[in-house]
Amino acid sequence: MPPPESEVSEEIRLLAAVAAGDRPAFRELYARHSAALFALALRLTGDPGAAEEVLQDAFVKIWRHAADYDARKSRPFTWTVTILRRTAIDHLRRHHRDPATFPLPEDDAPAVLAVPETARPMAEDHERSDRLNATLETLAPPQRTALELALFSALTHAEIAARLAQPAGTVKTWIRRGLLELRATLSETDP
Amino acid sequence: MKASPEEPAGLYVLDQLDRDERAAFEARLLREPELAALTGRLESGLARGIRSLPPREPPAGTLAQIEARIGAPSAATAAPAPAAPPDHTARRMVIARWGLAAMIALSLVTLAVQSLRRPPAQPVVVLVGLYADRNTFTELPLRGPARDPDARFIQLATLAEDYWGRPGALPAGPQPAAGGNRGYALFDPGSRQGFIAIERLPVVAENQRYHLWILDPAGVRDAGILPLAGMNRGLYSFTLGPGDGPKSDRPNFFITVEDNGPAGQPAQPRGKVVLGQESI
Repeated sequence: MPPPESEVSEEIRLLAAVAAGDRPAFRELYARHSAALFALALRLTGDPGAAEEVLQDAFVKIWRHAADYDARKSRPFTWTVTILRRTAIDHLRRHHRDPATFPLPEDDAPAVLAVPETARPMAEDHERSDRLNATLETLAPPQRTALELALFSALTHAEIAARLAQPAGTVKTWIRRGLLELRATLSETDP
Repeated sequence: MKASPEEPAGLYVLDQLDRDERAAFEARLLREPELAALTGRLESGLARGIRSLPPREPPAGTLAQIEARIGAPSAATAAPAPAAPPDHTARRMVIARWGLAAMIALSLVTLAVQSLRRPPAQPVVVLVGLYADRNTFTELPLRGPARDPDARFIQLATLAEDYWGRPGALPAGPQPAAGGNRGYALFDPGSRQGFIAIERLPVVAENQRYHLWILDPAGVRDAGILPLAGMNRGLYSFTLGPGDGPKSDRPNFFITVEDNGPAGQPAQPRGKVVLGQESI
């Protein structure tokens, strides 16, 4: 669940403390974001070892560049996501893996990644996946693919447009509307 | 299609603008409150999308490795330095180094003990092919840091999703009749975690559920209900309790249709077996 505004304020304070060299603040920031960022790194790289390397590099950059963070331009989580995404793209290029050659999600990809009732610790995963899938299901297939690629791949919008054989402007519109839809729908279903 | 003036906002939050476009957009952000508000909403959508991914805890020790790198940055990689740390940080860093040294020493001791206990065989996961008339077994070696439960789960999940997306990559075995029920279970005996994938099962009535069972020489145990919710296919994860793990290197899996009775879940299979074999 995304943090409420009070938590955004707390994270801004944490980043300011990190910029001042405060290790406990850095550990708190790591505790708040590492699981989400590691999940994203896994999606971007498709490899656990690479994802760990990307996560490490990203948090080292967060430590070193915390002073550059400007709360007027982005929220703390978005800022860390941007750092992680750039780090992942650098990693893929260093290892001669062109993000543009990544396969598209298959039509028969799992509709849900769910859990039986006995798997209690993973119930929250089930709920998260269901909510995301339910939201994505409301989008037309090409819009859904564009948004998924924008969120969970290292492709640029131009590369996404080329992959989907759509004008770049159309893809931009799909991505923007998709993000707003995610915000609206997931907000309604948040506890 | 004509782009709206706000069009770059979505690309901005996804870091899809080039340097000049980004600088221009950030200048607008500072002077256009409505654009800043829209960007905030888009950022919220981005955060909700990413946080809707099932979170994955990084391997244990990752934070310690990051802190070790932060403590001694090389001249080649040092970025613009943040503001100078307050005086008390130096003392804390000394303590942190002692703590790190102690943690490393403890880890080495733990590692040595684990190494003594670890069986010499390479860790494997079991792939059980489930068909209407038979089961097949394949052992797949785990790679990398197989001692770490998180790393094991990630390997397991990666394998499960890979086979789901590319069923042709499944190890060769007898193929089911065209159109027949089928599935597979990937199970890690070390962590007692697994994935079950099923295809083409008939949609059950509202008062019925598909139930997963695990079978080995010690008997049949409940591995959970498959929440198909009107679908005939799906990929699910499951975790067995500490006492529920298989007592064999070749556990068997099968799926039955069970009624939702007033007594709740059955302790033993009572319904019809629809996938896999109820015998070893």
